[in-house]
Amino acid sequence: MGTALNLVLILLLLATALLAVNARDLLAAVIIFSVYSLIMALMWQRLQAPDLALTEAAVGAGVTTVLFVITIFKTRRREEE
Amino acid sequence: MKKVVALLFIVALAVLLLYVVANMPPMGDPENPTATHVISRYLERAEEETHTENVVTGVILNYRGYDTMGEVTVIFCALAGVLAVLGRERRGVIHAFVDRSEVPSSVIVKTMVRFVVPFIILFSVYTILHGETSPGGGFQGGAIIGGSMIIFTTIFGLYESSRRIPLKVRASLEGAAVMGFFLVGALGLLGGGNFLTYAWPRVARSLQPSLVVWLTVLVEVGVGLGGAMVLISILFAMIREEEEIAPAP
Repeated sequence: MGTALNLVLILLLLATALLAVNARDLLAAVIIFSVYSLIMALMWQRLQAPDLALTEAAVGAGVTTVLFVITIFKTRRREEE
Repeated sequence: MKKVVALLFIVALAVLLLYVVANMPPMGDPENPTATHVISRYLERAEEETHTENVVTGVILNYRGYDTMGEVTVIFCALAGVLAVLGRERRGVIHAFVDRSEVPSSVIVKTMVRFVVPFIILFSVYTILHGETSPGGGFQGGAIIGGSMIIFTTIFGLYESSRRIPLKVRASLEGAAVMGFFLVGALGLLGGGNFLTYAWPRVARSLQPSLVVWLTVLVEVGVGLGGAMVLISILFAMIREEEEIAPAP
């Protein structure tokens, strides 16, 4: 049971990492990256590091995502010009 | 040609990294350097030496207080950099791009946020103050306060949220994390010990445990408040849009 859960988490982590890098839309990339952070928080909890899991969930999935989204909304893509 | 060089470089890097990973000691092995070095001392004596039930907090704030002080300074420098580039918001003319959104937030969302934010802040107070005995601590709690204010700002706008936490309060509390560490360190010097040792040789032995606990709580509260204010200030600096800079509708 534990091994299967670990395997699923690692596969999801790899999948979200690849998707975040390959996403064409920056907003989609940021959202996928926040999902990556959430899975990472679960991984920290599985590795018995609850302090780190709390930090990852609050900073990685919460604050950083919002800061990235703000940056995307306040900047423009060069191809548009 | 360029692609071949890049590919060769990546393959070489991958081989090197995989070689290192293959040579790493297995996870959870009692013969690991991480398990034989200082960890045993931490696990055996942390409770009597740092008087915190959560060993992680004892290690972060007490044994490795210098490390944490450096990290807190880095976060403070990050805020200083952001403010140097983007500048503070000015009272009276501030707007955020969320204020100008074409889709106004609905009554349901507003009511939910107004209802939930106090509970999130209450949870972060618990995380900060209970950090000695349970997972969590100053930094995590500060990040949760920052997150709650981010939710509030995205729904109610910059004007409302900067009225709740005015610039004066933030400016004086942003340095709280660094100041907390230096204050506790300097108090340790006054108490006859070394910088950031928490143990004061000049104080009676029976008072030591409660002294260490209170100093730890002081540092935790400082880190929590300072971290929260740094995150909120970075957010405000990033979303502010002043009247004269904003594009004409």
